[in-house]
Amino acid sequence: MADMDTFVAISAALTGIDPGKLAPGVDPIKVSAEYFQKASTEAPDVFKRVLSIASATPPPANLADALLNGSGDDVRFLCRSIMLMWFLGSWFNPNDLKLYASAIPPAAPISSSVVSSKAYTQGWVWAAAQAHPMGYSTLRFGYWNQPPVALNDFIGA
Amino acid sequence: MADTIFDAVIVGAGFSGAMIAKQLALAGKHVLILEAGASIPVNVNEYMERFYTASTKVPETPYTPELFSPSGILTDPATLNAGRPTVLSLDASNWQDPKQSYLIQNGPLAFASTYERIGGGTGRHWLGSSFRFLPNDFRTQSQYGQMVDWPIGYDDLQPWYTKAESEIGVSADVDEQTYLGVTFPPGYAYPMKPIPPSLVDQSVAAAIAGMAVDGIPLSVRSTPAGRNSQPYQRRRVCAGNTNCIPICPIQAKYDPSVTINEALETGKVEVRYNTVVSDILVDVNGRVSSVNYVQYNKPDGPPAKTGSALGHVFVLAAHAIESPKLMLMSRNNGRTPNGVGNSSGQVGKNLMDHPLYLAWALAPAPLFPYRGPLSTSGIEELRDGDFRRQRAAYRIEIGNEGWNFPIGDPDVTTLDFINGMNKSGLNPPLAANTSPPALAGATLINSLNDKLSRQLRLAFLVEQSPEERNRVTLSADTDHLGIPRPAIQYDLSQYTKDGLIAAKATADDIFAKMNAKQFTTAPDDNDPSHFPAVVNGNNVKIKYYGSGHIVGTHRMGSDKTKSVVDSLQRSWDHPNLFVTGGGSFPTVATGNPTLTLAALALRTADAILKSDLRA
Repeated sequence: MADMDTFVAISAALTGIDPGKLAPGVDPIKVSAEYFQKASTEAPDVFKRVLSIASATPPPANLADALLNGSGDDVRFLCRSIMLMWFLGSWFNPNDLKLYASAIPPAAPISSSVVSSKAYTQGWVWAAAQAHPMGYSTLRFGYWNQPPVALNDFIGA
Repeated sequence: MADTIFDAVIVGAGFSGAMIAKQLALAGKHVLILEAGASIPVNVNEYMERFYTASTKVPETPYTPELFSPSGILTDPATLNAGRPTVLSLDASNWQDPKQSYLIQNGPLAFASTYERIGGGTGRHWLGSSFRFLPNDFRTQSQYGQMVDWPIGYDDLQPWYTKAESEIGVSADVDEQTYLGVTFPPGYAYPMKPIPPSLVDQSVAAAIAGMAVDGIPLSVRSTPAGRNSQPYQRRRVCAGNTNCIPICPIQAKYDPSVTINEALETGKVEVRYNTVVSDILVDVNGRVSSVNYVQYNKPDGPPAKTGSALGHVFVLAAHAIESPKLMLMSRNNGRTPNGVGNSSGQVGKNLMDHPLYLAWALAPAPLFPYRGPLSTSGIEELRDGDFRRQRAAYRIEIGNEGWNFPIGDPDVTTLDFINGMNKSGLNPPLAANTSPPALAGATLINSLNDKLSRQLRLAFLVEQSPEERNRVTLSADTDHLGIPRPAIQYDLSQYTKDGLIAAKATADDIFAKMNAKQFTTAPDDNDPSHFPAVVNGNNVKIKYYGSGHIVGTHRMGSDKTKSVVDSLQRSWDHPNLFVTGGGSFPTVATGNPTLTLAALALRTADAILKSDLRA
């Protein structure tokens, strides 16, 4: 399996979103490529380990659990960074995530950076809320007066 | 070559300046607008890109000069030619740090509102709520023995409200807006039909049916909106981007750049951007003869040019903090020792806002927020009543953006769930002495869906009473042009605090009636925007936010010893000087102020046109 396919499979397992939604066959937007690039640039060695865990033979019975709970802190927090990219379009440094998940987190707000304007507008948290990114609606006048379509129509899982 | 003498020189390209410029130009007058900030772009792409890529999405984010880096590091205001405040400098750590806060905050409480200095003004980031003030708002002293009366009443302003509603393009229904004494001319219809209520509105409406506060029955009413419900003024219909503040990506929300562009189309208006007025010159007869300005090319670059603008009439429309600042700066070699237009001593005083009480909760069933305009309805019955003898009134704005305003969601809750944290309060530890859970996969999706779809917030806009001690003066700290920055003294009267305390009680009651679990957090002890109170025998801390509804600093009145301008916003001291905008309000009432300041501007434009400009 190509690294990108592995990355999408990992992302789907971690986020609970259908891989065909994360990286559609016809994908003019392709944030998957941006996130792959970001993770491999920010944490090249750990990212390789993440990919290798998912490509192991036989594959882990529960991929998300293997990544988040069975492979140590470096893998766990990079995976959380990848999840946050998919949901928010923002990059959180894995080391910061580790610090803020500790028993005594820093008082100052955690810092993050938006990967790109495209990434912000493709954040999946809005779909999880059955909504749309603030400042990026593709819906029509008055839609807010009626209930949204079902959650599964948004995330495809 | 002799300098051009304009019929009118207007300082500021915001709501008031734009409205007056267009009316004068349509009547054939030659108008010059001097705007401190950057020009109006041909489209909003650059603004949107800045908004999308900033990790701190606050009202100031899309606009220039950039006050902070994408990650939120603040720029020293002393390095900017046209600086302005930001909500990012309201923390205990930085609100009084002149290297972080443009306003020099002298307390005792923090002034929590901000404004823009750019073509289109603060109207670039307004919400669009277009309320008329109530008849009693203009006469609180005679009606309730509180605050001061306006020199005009609702009936004086009524025809100008209709004109302002047309200029802005307001969507609303006359029957629904006929309450608490508000009247409309026979046969009047708003320019567009109302904006449909959101599911959040509908849930609140159903839950509070039959509820009363101080014996006053409550109901949910759609908000008159400067937002298109049908194509209007060559602009599109609202697509519910849930982003009116800081910016509508499709300009379905009116902003003053629309009127500026229409004014320019007359061919009678010139706008000079990046042009900061530094002095108002008064001649020996007491007339304003000219204003001096400084121009720059780069927001943090050196001055490029200085100049002087001559005119027959001058309109100061630079915002309720910048206009009095400029008046106080202009001493005319001692001939106006307390500043221009300040024989009353009232310039800069009576600074007011709507201190905003914010409350948030989780409803028992989905309301589907993060959809539709930021706010589409409110609870308006408590804007007026006999209780105003004792405490401040308020209106209640129902938010459609979940907990975005209160805690910065959906980001905070997402981070909590993914990284095992609990800043939102929505991800508590499952057992004592354990960490909050970290979620993934379907559990994560379902938890986000469950929590985000039930988020609700209410904002209470409380009427602040005018007090001379709340004021704008000149700071020794300067901007990059060497111009003094505004120094602010600010506090809340007991009357105002009692309004905020009453707001909290009503929030608690509404959430209880809805069977919603409240998550409103108490402010930290060192938060500069809070005060302690005793409610029902309990010690509580009440946090207030700014509403951006900055008014009062050049109040109108009928007595020139107690006010700065008359009801036409004409300076008592200088017959060809008009000072316009929210600063002219004697009281702030409870309605969002924009429609009223637009109506006043149109009324002023009419008065200017009816007067002999050279007399």
